Amino acid sequence: MSLMAVVFTGILLFAVGAAGFVLRGNALVLLLCIEIMLNAVNLVLAGFSRYLYGTEGQVFIFVIMAAGAAAAAVGLAVVAALRRRLGTADMNRINVLKG
Amino acid sequence: MTDTLLFCALAGTAAASALAVTVFRNPVNGVMALLVNLLATAGLYLLMGAPGIALFQVILYVGAVLVLFLFAVMVLDWKTGGPPLVVPLKPLTAGAAAVVLAGGGAAFLAGNRIFPRTGLPEGPPGPGPGIREIALDLFTRHLLVFELASVLLLAAAVGAVLIVRKERKRS
Repeated sequence: MSLMAVVFTGILLFAVGAAGFVLRGNALVLLLCIEIMLNAVNLVLAGFSRYLYGTEGQVFIFVIMAAGAAAAAVGLAVVAALRRRLGTADMNRINVLKG
Repeated sequence: MTDTLLFCALAGTAAASALAVTVFRNPVNGVMALLVNLLATAGLYLLMGAPGIALFQVILYVGAVLVLFLFAVMVLDWKTGGPPLVVPLKPLTAGAAAVVLAGGGAAFLAGNRIFPRTGLPEGPPGPGPGIREIALDLFTRHLLVFELASVLLLAAAVGAVLIVRKERKRS
């Protein structure tokens, strides 16, 4: 288990999450993909914190977890509001910001 | 050796379940796949000597965020009404994403080959920082960050309530 293995796992998870974010249309799945990407970043931070023996990496992880929880709460509220007002949560059908 | 095997198994599980999140049509299946992903990541944290992070991962993400997602799926009733929720693959977007990601990976590999391990240790240097050290660090040097995180969570909670609140009828 070298540092490079950890970094590669993080890259892989982030790539999968980013691909899902770009490809899927369901707003809820978009939020799930955001969580996957946040977790990939956390994983890399934990790896570097371990190999460089610093506590800052784990402090960063706490902050990112708080931000992720806030993002999930607000994102789900936005999805619920979209669903209620526009009747759909398909991002390809929501174009109210189109000029 | 056991560590390496465990790491490979957990990383494979995490990658496969992440892929499953992006593939499954039904959001409930996606949330369940994310559950597997988060638990595998918690195992990876444990393997990397960060038990506190693993604990918070299980409590915060699995216990709170995923339950919130499941509530959203349940309340919003994704089965009835509306168009199918999976869009057909957009070839141009998919190709661009694949090129960017593959290029990033290749650049990373090439950089690693050209500048081999500048100052990074080969293996983990002894046990990682303990939870006591992290707590001391968090509540002394990084106290402001901690407080700001609490303000952020409060703002997010208030904002979420404001967003989902039913609009009053204008008379």
